[in-house]
Amino acid sequence: MSRVVVAGSKDVLPPVIEKLHELRLLHIVNYNGSQPDFELGKPIGKAKEYSEDLIKLRSVTRYLDIKTKAAEVQYPESQVLSEMDNLLNNVGGEVTSTFERITQIDAEVKTKQDQINAMRPLAVLPLDLEDLYGYESVAVFVGTVSSPVDADVAKVSPVNQIYSGSSKTANVVAVFVPASKAGEVAPVMSEHGFSEISVPKLQGSVDAAISTLEGEIKSLEGEKAPLVKKLGDIKKQYEDLFLATDEYLSMQTQKTEAPLRFAETENAFVIDGWVPTAEFSNLKSGVESAAGGRVDVELLDDKEAENLVEAGEDVPTQIRNPGLVRPYELITRLFAIPEYKEFDPSLLIFVFFPIMFGMILGDIGYGVMIILALLLLKKKFRTDGWQQLINIVLIASVWAIVFGAIFGEVFGPLGLWGKLFGHLSEAQIEALKAAGTYFGEGVYGSLGRLGPLGVLPMDRLATNAVLMLIGISIFIGVIHTAVGSILGIKTELNYGEKKHAYFERLPVLLFQVFFALALLGLVMGQMALVAVGGVIIVISIVMMVMGPEGPMGLAHVPFYVSNLISYLRLLAIGLASVGLAFAANQLAFYVIMPMLSGGSESPTIPAIIAGIVILTVVHFINMLLGILSPFMHPLRLHYVEMFTKFYSAHGGGVEYSPFGHVRRYLKA
Amino acid sequence: MVVGAINDGGILYGLLAVGAGLATGLAGIGAGVGEQGIGAAVVGVVAEEPGFLGKGLFLMLLPETLIIFGLAVSLILMFAWTPFA
Repeated sequence: MSRVVVAGSKDVLPPVIEKLHELRLLHIVNYNGSQPDFELGKPIGKAKEYSEDLIKLRSVTRYLDIKTKAAEVQYPESQVLSEMDNLLNNVGGEVTSTFERITQIDAEVKTKQDQINAMRPLAVLPLDLEDLYGYESVAVFVGTVSSPVDADVAKVSPVNQIYSGSSKTANVVAVFVPASKAGEVAPVMSEHGFSEISVPKLQGSVDAAISTLEGEIKSLEGEKAPLVKKLGDIKKQYEDLFLATDEYLSMQTQKTEAPLRFAETENAFVIDGWVPTAEFSNLKSGVESAAGGRVDVELLDDKEAENLVEAGEDVPTQIRNPGLVRPYELITRLFAIPEYKEFDPSLLIFVFFPIMFGMILGDIGYGVMIILALLLLKKKFRTDGWQQLINIVLIASVWAIVFGAIFGEVFGPLGLWGKLFGHLSEAQIEALKAAGTYFGEGVYGSLGRLGPLGVLPMDRLATNAVLMLIGISIFIGVIHTAVGSILGIKTELNYGEKKHAYFERLPVLLFQVFFALALLGLVMGQMALVAVGGVIIVISIVMMVMGPEGPMGLAHVPFYVSNLISYLRLLAIGLASVGLAFAANQLAFYVIMPMLSGGSESPTIPAIIAGIVILTVVHFINMLLGILSPFMHPLRLHYVEMFTKFYSAHGGGVEYSPFGHVRRYLKA
Repeated sequence: MVVGAINDGGILYGLLAVGAGLATGLAGIGAGVGEQGIGAAVVGVVAEEPGFLGKGLFLMLLPETLIIFGLAVSLILMFAWTPFA
């Protein structure tokens, strides 16, 4: 990145902005108004009109429920311009009035519906609706009560008229008393659990009123249906044009309001910004020719740029990765944009994340099912975020299939794999044991199987396999954290922090690698390795104490140990999911199906159906969990165990976002 | 009889299994207690500012390491430590 300044006469501001927008190279640094001789720029041209049109357009698109989507057709700007007036005023007006009428109908229907609901209990009273309201000297209480009120009302108001009736759900009363007694009657009523019904101001019997209202609702809904259809038709006809117009107006507002980010004097303007160093000459020639030479595009030298950065300006980071890696930028972004001098870890995530995901899930059946499901979802969810997420899991699922072959799992152990390839015979097991390559005899008993690779389909639930996977998990952990630490050293050197590099990052690397080696030596009984490991661990701790944090650095040592143990989750979460799959297969093939077939070898039809139901349900649940946890946990391993080794605590960088616009619905 | 069972490791192996279960289970409870506060806070922050989701998720998963410690102990008890071999 290079720091540039574009300065020129205000006369050429519009063509310069137009060119910058088209080039999409300059990451503009907003002017903060701190220089006494320069003011903040003012919008140029028809900025106000454009933003008003945009607001109008957005409200119409909201009524039509138009959302951004992949472009099907691209419109030339001239067509958008010529149709814009018609679209905003005629079509827009039509949409607005139709939408308002629909809202009005909905409100009316709701009022009438509420009236019907309120009136329905009143049908048990022997009174017409107009008898229940409109008195001056009489107070009326209409509502439901939990117990008869006649006697108690008579006590406080000897003059009264009470009608009551009861339906299945409630006792309804209408109590008429002189208005002067209302204050005394009210508490009596509430003692009996009185709850008022507000009587709609309508005429005639309750049943007749209800059927009238229902008729009105029906006719209102009859009016609404064609209106809704009309909106649908308009949407179908103009959707793409609306999106294109939205894009055109957004671009125009962006351009006309750009000067707000520039510094200005009476006759001149100054634009500050960053540009990728290789692109500077393109920017310079492009802008200068657009302005007919009446603009100056200048590169600041490194020292001046350095001073600006020291003063708090952020150098934007351009994140650029090969296509296959690009989805994994999502994971980087979720954490933080790397600073300019930091390493963009997307590539590393691309390497490690799918392997970890695959190692945890490790099942051919689940892998294939997830890939199929994702390919369907990929067609359905077309926004960038979803596409990236789907691609991440898609790539990772391929690894799940690879590991599935290594673990010999197709919808769990004991399932299809065993049916397809059969089980090892006693003699073969003995031969494998003699060769020292037998993984069987776990807590779940022997599951030795015959696969195309002879021994390789290991059984994750068997003792030796668990022990081996513990080792492999820690091994992956050591590599993973070591890569993180090396990047940490490199980053600190980039910032010129030698002390941090050699006495903060390096000891961590040594500590973790040799801690693991010493552990390995302990397990293998190689005491020499343990001794070497021990010595280097001590050296690394001494280095930490000498480091920038001093003796406080020791407080982190347990964290570095727990970092490594944390990688056991690669084994542990996998085991949990294998366990569930195993249980499903065991239940279906070896418990339920033999039970329903009366213990005979060949299963009966109902037994097969019951087995299929059980297998489908349990495996489906397991597969949902099998997408979630193999995704979340490697994510954590990256964020906590790896990123902390090299991401600075400076609070993230700023992404390079050049001034301009990527056209989606407009032809260039 | 009890002595015989101890000698062939029956009861002790059972106790070992109980111990392994407790190690994972109690660690799980601990992690859960740790996560409840963080989770509630993270949901609160994300409602205000969706951009915090990544960091929130990261904080949320921190106490999960506790379970892994418990599980490591369980695995050692069940698979690696064989006093009766």
